[in-house]
Amino acid sequence: MIQVRDLKKHFKVHKRPPGLAAALRSVVHRTYTTVKAVDGVSFTIERGERVGFLGPTGAGKTTTLKVLSGLLHPTAGEVSVAEHRPQKRAAAFLRQITLVMGQKQQLIWDLPPAETWSLNRAVFGVAPAEFDRTLAELTELLDLKELSQKPTRQLSLGERMKCELAAALLHKPTTLFLDEPTIGLDVAMQVTIREFIREYNQRHDATVMLTSHYMDDVVALCPRVIVIDGGRLIHDGDLRALVKSMMPDKRVSFAGAMAADVIERLGRLVTQDSARTTIEVPEDRLREVIGHLLAGEGIGDLAIEDPPLEDVMRKLFKSKTADAS
Amino acid sequence: MTVGGLGYYVRLLGVSIRTSLITSMQYRVDFVIQGVMSLLWTALAIFPLLVLYGDRTSVAGWDFGSALVVMGLFTIMRGVLEGAINPSLLAVVERIRSGSFDYTLLKPADAQFLVSTTRFDPWHVTDLLAGIGIIVYAFVEMGRAPGAGELAAALALVAAAVAVMYSLWILIVASAFWVVRMDNLSFLLGAVFDAARWPIHVFRGTWRFVFTFIIPLALMTSFPAMALLGTLSLRTALLSLAGSAAFFMVSRTVWTLAIRSYTSASS
Repeated sequence: MIQVRDLKKHFKVHKRPPGLAAALRSVVHRTYTTVKAVDGVSFTIERGERVGFLGPTGAGKTTTLKVLSGLLHPTAGEVSVAEHRPQKRAAAFLRQITLVMGQKQQLIWDLPPAETWSLNRAVFGVAPAEFDRTLAELTELLDLKELSQKPTRQLSLGERMKCELAAALLHKPTTLFLDEPTIGLDVAMQVTIREFIREYNQRHDATVMLTSHYMDDVVALCPRVIVIDGGRLIHDGDLRALVKSMMPDKRVSFAGAMAADVIERLGRLVTQDSARTTIEVPEDRLREVIGHLLAGEGIGDLAIEDPPLEDVMRKLFKSKTADAS
Repeated sequence: MTVGGLGYYVRLLGVSIRTSLITSMQYRVDFVIQGVMSLLWTALAIFPLLVLYGDRTSVAGWDFGSALVVMGLFTIMRGVLEGAINPSLLAVVERIRSGSFDYTLLKPADAQFLVSTTRFDPWHVTDLLAGIGIIVYAFVEMGRAPGAGELAAALALVAAAVAVMYSLWILIVASAFWVVRMDNLSFLLGAVFDAARWPIHVFRGTWRFVFTFIIPLALMTSFPAMALLGTLSLRTALLSLAGSAAFFMVSRTVWTLAIRSYTSASS
């Protein structure tokens, strides 16, 4: 269980104005500004939940995850993870959590991943039999067999990420903080990682908090999303409810040509090219519009979808910025 | 298995050394190069001694054999520095810069221990062998052998010397948390350490004071050498041991403060 009450994390940063003269001046006289990376965020996550943690770049996502995993002291507020205060970095706490950072690596570059794994086994004090069992399970789920004996430097980005995940999970943590675990990976590998995270979550009743720039990850994995912007919480709840409240209209797309004035009567045009037309239709008019389309000549390959989460997020951030100003 | 406790850390050290050995085995050529370099450096180090003692028998109260013992200890300490201390230093500074140091702080073990045992360069064992060789040769040259008591005292002082060198290094790593780039600092320490090849009495006035109390080079080579030669007073020996313990505590405190500053300030 993760409990966060009014968390604040402020940084004092050195303001560096552009130009050589200003740089020289700043050697002698430095001006500092306070950056409010996280500014009063509260939420509770129950054991076993999978939560997407979203926000634009610089919203405070990584800072929050670092506070939750004990790497940063909070400036103010109460944080409790698995009944520990993270900033104390107690061994009992660290053995229950893991933080995976898609942009950083812990595997030893010159050695096969298996060496990092056995190093972590010793550091986390995992009993050999237990270690073998967990490794066998991870090897099966992530298909690591071919990878464990190859030097890390020879692995592809996706293969390396799979081995990083294994390194981060060999002590069987019950709380997972995943910061962009699929960054830079191709679509097939993203799906693999996603499936794995879900499987781990279900097998071990593990709590998962995930940030990702790929909204597909979030849609596929997280029934609940917490959204922050400018260090403040702007949404916490069911993903589908969020989509519905922000963009209640469905997207209907179809192949085939249709006159502009007819489209206008059916719904709002989103995109149109020679092959495909996409329109937005309010849910209560869906039945009528579909009926019309099905009856139309040369209309085919009909699809009804929710608007993409990217668009929902863009609209959410825009509306909050407008509120603030 | 439990986490924490002496047994746990001994096991961790074992695993870390094993990992370093595996890494080193991948670069076997290094072993040859290291062996040649070790011999070369040792020869180069002895050369000025030969010139210096060419037309005199004593420099600042040290005869050739005694100065050679200092040189032997210097070679051993250089091996410890470059084989056991510097590789970890470079690895950790790189980690701090790239941000993967966060992974070290996520481990349920003492961060200073993990940092200090990141990487070993076992090929530098050639330096240890060369250093012991020089000391043995020096005593053969002097036509005598150190007694058991002198040997024990020298070993204790070598341990103190390693503690002091390690503490200096931890202070440098701790400074990396604040300044991030500290390559120059480590080069500076390397350059200053080079002065430890000379007996401390060669230096006068301010320098002798600095090298005894501020950057205790005397403690690293001259004092263990004097213990081995039987010329170190008990008082100096005990003060050295106490001093190195104090140095160690100071570095540990600074390290703790540095970690606290890192976790409360970095983004």
